[in-house]
Amino acid sequence: MAIEITRPGKYSLIVSTPVMPAAGTLGFADSYKGLIDYDKLGALVTNPVTIEPWNPASGTRAIPLDAGILLHTGLPNPGLRKVIGRNRKLWAKLPIPVILHLVGISVAHALQAGSMLDDVDEIAAVELGLSDGIELSDALALVEAAAKMEKPLLVRMPFYECYELAPPLAEAGADALVLTAPPRGTARDDHAGRLVSGRIYGPLIKPLVLRMVGRLRREIADEIPIIACGGIHSPQDARDYIDAGAVAVQVDTATWAQPKMLERIARDLGGWIATRHKDALLDEWNPDMGQTEAIERRAAPPEAGPDLRPGRKR
Amino acid sequence: MKESQAYIERITRVNRDFQRLDLAVDKSLSSLRAGQALLVRRIDKDYEAEQWDPYLRELWFPVDIHASNILVIEQPARSHFTPGQLLSIIGPVGQPFRFRQKLRSILLIAYHTTPAALLMMLAPLLEREVGITLVLMGTARDYETGHLPGEIEIIQADDDLSWSDMVMTLGWADQVFVAVGPGDELEHLGDIMRVIRRRRNNIPANYVFGVLQRRLPCGVGACHACMLNLRGTQKLQCVDGPAFDLTTLRLN
Repeated sequence: MAIEITRPGKYSLIVSTPVMPAAGTLGFADSYKGLIDYDKLGALVTNPVTIEPWNPASGTRAIPLDAGILLHTGLPNPGLRKVIGRNRKLWAKLPIPVILHLVGISVAHALQAGSMLDDVDEIAAVELGLSDGIELSDALALVEAAAKMEKPLLVRMPFYECYELAPPLAEAGADALVLTAPPRGTARDDHAGRLVSGRIYGPLIKPLVLRMVGRLRREIADEIPIIACGGIHSPQDARDYIDAGAVAVQVDTATWAQPKMLERIARDLGGWIATRHKDALLDEWNPDMGQTEAIERRAAPPEAGPDLRPGRKR
Repeated sequence: MKESQAYIERITRVNRDFQRLDLAVDKSLSSLRAGQALLVRRIDKDYEAEQWDPYLRELWFPVDIHASNILVIEQPARSHFTPGQLLSIIGPVGQPFRFRQKLRSILLIAYHTTPAALLMMLAPLLEREVGITLVLMGTARDYETGHLPGEIEIIQADDDLSWSDMVMTLGWADQVFVAVGPGDELEHLGDIMRVIRRRRNNIPANYVFGVLQRRLPCGVGACHACMLNLRGTQKLQCVDGPAFDLTTLRLN
């Protein structure tokens, strides 16, 4: 299966499975080695990266909610140069394309990052994360600056400004829209006895984002792919997003609770049908994955035409 | 790091407030050592773990290991478990505690948390004839200790975090491990460091360690929610912890 998840053009990103982790959930490279079969994923989206190093947030960073979590990490990262230096060899060994999540701070930041990333062949595409509350003019300037990179540009939309920003940004050079960043919320940290603000994750986010995906799919041009991200915790959740018009999905914190769920969703949407041998023992973990035989349900590749292998430029 | 399955083989009530679970675990966990933990999720009879409340995996520090594949876990008595119950486990999480080779005596401090994260070291250290003192501070003073080995000296600290013979205890210990619970853990470690500094001028490296038990969203070094600032570097509790030298950890 070959799925083009960015706008057709000079730089395009093609993946074998329309399922990938959301930024911030799988680390910079192979943190989940041994727990997830990376080969079954469509791509790796890295943790958020900035040009300069960012320190972790102080105080409480994770608060459990009813069927969810509030997270406030401060997006700690050692800076773009170190992230590239430390992970380049690992990225080259990964069997899937790597999408670097760049924190959208300023036009100068985006231009500087672009000039550094153009030389990094191990990065197949860039996902630009827009901050909450960003003005339309600032968002347009950021996207136009980042679009100068010689790589496909995915733009992750802020939750609350999604309806306002998505249509104009689709026209401004984004090769795909990622809907959306998690919403922000506030919860009480019972241990410390104070209120903490952060991003909210959990199954309840899905109905909110599903509506956004459906509505924006009707409002923006068909040639701009939408990648859905929010509250996916089962293969059916992911299929609902595809039904609503998304071309691919990003799975976020479900992976932390159940690492195999990401792989299971990827197998489900990737056309991998797992069947159990008639006399095989039930795999207590993942009934459709363990003592099973995977049958590849993929069309034969075309005899001639463009190179459709994942992550290849056309 | 591996995801495996365990089941609760036996449940023993050890006192009014706590019970111990004997977990039959995968062979990959038989080499687990004091300091390393498990990320645990309960799964139902149909082997599905897709109940999302509670959402995060629980961080469990074993308190003992038997017959190479039985890990003993201490849990509050109010938590309901049943023999035969299945658990999804990711582990081992973190690094083992680092003890000095010529360790003769050790001081353990539990501050606003149960000492569970420190208990797995007891049996191997007692076997090496290491003298062990356990100081209970803050809410840890409510912890009943009748089930702990009789060779351990147990001290209840005062409200001002001091205890009798404090100077002698600190001078006598070759190493100190301080366990703090989640929430304000760096402030609590700061409290302990101030107490120790008042009694001991020069605190050497690898002498006093803080044992952190923050909630770990991923537990594998991916989310960076447990990142800590150390002098000149940053480390992750889930990968490099749970014990950090308090002379290098930035406590504010």
